[in-house]
Amino acid sequence: MASEDEINLLVIVVDVNPIWWGQQAQRDPQFTLSKCMDAVMVMGNAHMAMARTNKLAVIASHCQGSHFLYPSKSWSGEDGGGNDVSSSGDGKYELLSAANNLIVEEIRNIMSKIEVTGNSTDTLLAGSLAKALCYIHRLTKELEVGQEIKSRILVVKAAEDCALQYMNFMNVIFAAQKQNILIDACVLDSDSGLLQQACDITGGLYMKIPQKVALAQYLLWVFLPDSEQRSQLVLPPPAHVDYRAACFCHRNLIEIGYVCSVCLSIFCNFSPICTTCETAFKIQLPQIVKPKKKKLKQPM
Amino acid sequence: MDEEPERAKRWEGGYERTCCVSSFPGLLWNMFHPQGGVCVFSHGQVRLGMMRHVYVVIDCSRSMEDQDLKPNRLTSTLKLMEVFVDEYFDQNPISQVGIITTKNKRAEKLTDLAGNPKKHITALKKAVDTVCVGEPSLYNSLNLAIQTLKHMPGHTSREILIILSSLTTCDPANIYELIKTLKSLKVRVSVIGLSAEVRVCTVLTRETGGSYHVILDESHFKELLMLHIKPPPASSSSECSLIRMGFPQHTIASVTDQDAKPSFSMSHLDSSSGPGLSLGGYLCPQCHATYTELPVECKVCGLTLVSAPHLARSFHHLFPLQAFVESPVENLQGDRFCQACQAELKDKSMFSCPSCHSVFCVECDLFIHESLHCCPCCIYCQTVP
Repeated sequence: MASEDEINLLVIVVDVNPIWWGQQAQRDPQFTLSKCMDAVMVMGNAHMAMARTNKLAVIASHCQGSHFLYPSKSWSGEDGGGNDVSSSGDGKYELLSAANNLIVEEIRNIMSKIEVTGNSTDTLLAGSLAKALCYIHRLTKELEVGQEIKSRILVVKAAEDCALQYMNFMNVIFAAQKQNILIDACVLDSDSGLLQQACDITGGLYMKIPQKVALAQYLLWVFLPDSEQRSQLVLPPPAHVDYRAACFCHRNLIEIGYVCSVCLSIFCNFSPICTTCETAFKIQLPQIVKPKKKKLKQPM
Repeated sequence: MDEEPERAKRWEGGYERTCCVSSFPGLLWNMFHPQGGVCVFSHGQVRLGMMRHVYVVIDCSRSMEDQDLKPNRLTSTLKLMEVFVDEYFDQNPISQVGIITTKNKRAEKLTDLAGNPKKHITALKKAVDTVCVGEPSLYNSLNLAIQTLKHMPGHTSREILIILSSLTTCDPANIYELIKTLKSLKVRVSVIGLSAEVRVCTVLTRETGGSYHVILDESHFKELLMLHIKPPPASSSSECSLIRMGFPQHTIASVTDQDAKPSFSMSHLDSSSGPGLSLGGYLCPQCHATYTELPVECKVCGLTLVSAPHLARSFHHLFPLQAFVESPVENLQGDRFCQACQAELKDKSMFSCPSCHSVFCVECDLFIHESLHCCPCCIYCQTVP
């Protein structure tokens, strides 16, 4: 059993890309953004109900920014800790309903304020994950003496990956690994290589949901238990992560490649100049033996 | 002796680099995402030595039993070395470290050059029991390090870090000749002194282009050690080449698979705990030998095996994050909240990113520059045309 002083923080990052959700509502009217947010709120409430000291944060991530749905800046300043609530019954219910109302209001604000420019259906998760890490870092610093905090991030991803964020994403993953923060991923539509790597490196769970309408069930079954309890449960097996690199010239996945020692770009074939940093490479040439000049035979 | 005060001033002022440093052309680089895609970044100014071979020489002479560092110098040094090894492999995943100890006028290798931190840490833990006796030998330890370093390929950076606590050294031959050899082999030697400045170390580090510091206390010792974790600027004479590397696939097979065949992991063949049969692992693309961990150099065919994230770990050295601009909080109109952690800005100063002008608090600024290496709000600005 976790001690009373151990705080369990769950940060849920929800992908609310409006273009993807709009297309999704047309494809399948049964599963819309509001259904998804309902499932997320069920998950959040369940997490907060597991223990008195559990904390929750929800971030919405879309193509132009990421926004904290809960706890919100405009709230009265009480954190989702419940440390000063004496009676468990009524206090917890108020806390949960307050959280739900806040989330609903904030998401409504965001979706009405978004100006959709272009039709990018990608998700820029790196920024939201970075904000989540900063928030976790802040809460860790604000702990009282004797309290410990264990944090994890759950990503609910809808749209496809955006390749532009590879570097930032990897930096965020390494920072999370260093701070011992798990990153779990619940993918609704298309597989995401970046999230697979994130889950593998940080030790979290990656799952692509077969049926979107049952999102709440999957969230509660797979992602609600924390890392200690997961060892005692039979959970979906880890996905096979492809760690092969793609060459910079053709973008093919290669198993053996050549790496520039200066800028670490990867090539599939040997070339005398690195195309990224334009350094000329020293090539070990075999000794060239000058052929002996033979006298041409005069035609008779 | 006239030159001594000048040298002392220059040494106190920080380390000087006698190697020249070249810069990249000022272009925006197009960096391909290893799994397909394009990222655009601005360039770094300096070429860095990404693949490093570092030998750490630890002095185990009588002076290490001195108790000015608690509990004694040797224990304190070994503990800090464990931290150093962990951080080093975190920041330089494709580099290698080896440890040499010197005492009784001789030098011996504690661990060979290897890319696996566990071996070094076990050896360091065992070394706490060594008896500190005799005098160190700078010549012998440098010679021992050179024996291996001179065979390393030219594009890697060859470094030796000496932790010297004794004020004397016992050398069998002229150390100035050895310094000339070190210079010709392009080995960079740095020294961390635990007692006081020693002239031969000053000459050694100046000639080879390394740094020489003497510690003030334990926290200063840690700071100085951590300075050596960042990759050093590569000298213009170091060769650049294409290194052939393999990117193995990770196979996870279960007992119920019909094709699953158990195999010995090559990395454990040398260990005394006995080879373990395993069903999965990383298969070398050239010879199909199995390994449990990366990065590793294949024992069968000699190919360096890494995974794409290992290379990605070094990217933040090549593309460092710009420093944020500090300004007083009063300048900010409207809500005063840090855009990363949502805390109210209570301090007098705030930090803003020069590219996206988002505002951060002091804590987030520190966290972003030390651990995250990327601005949480800049990514959105990159997509706006």
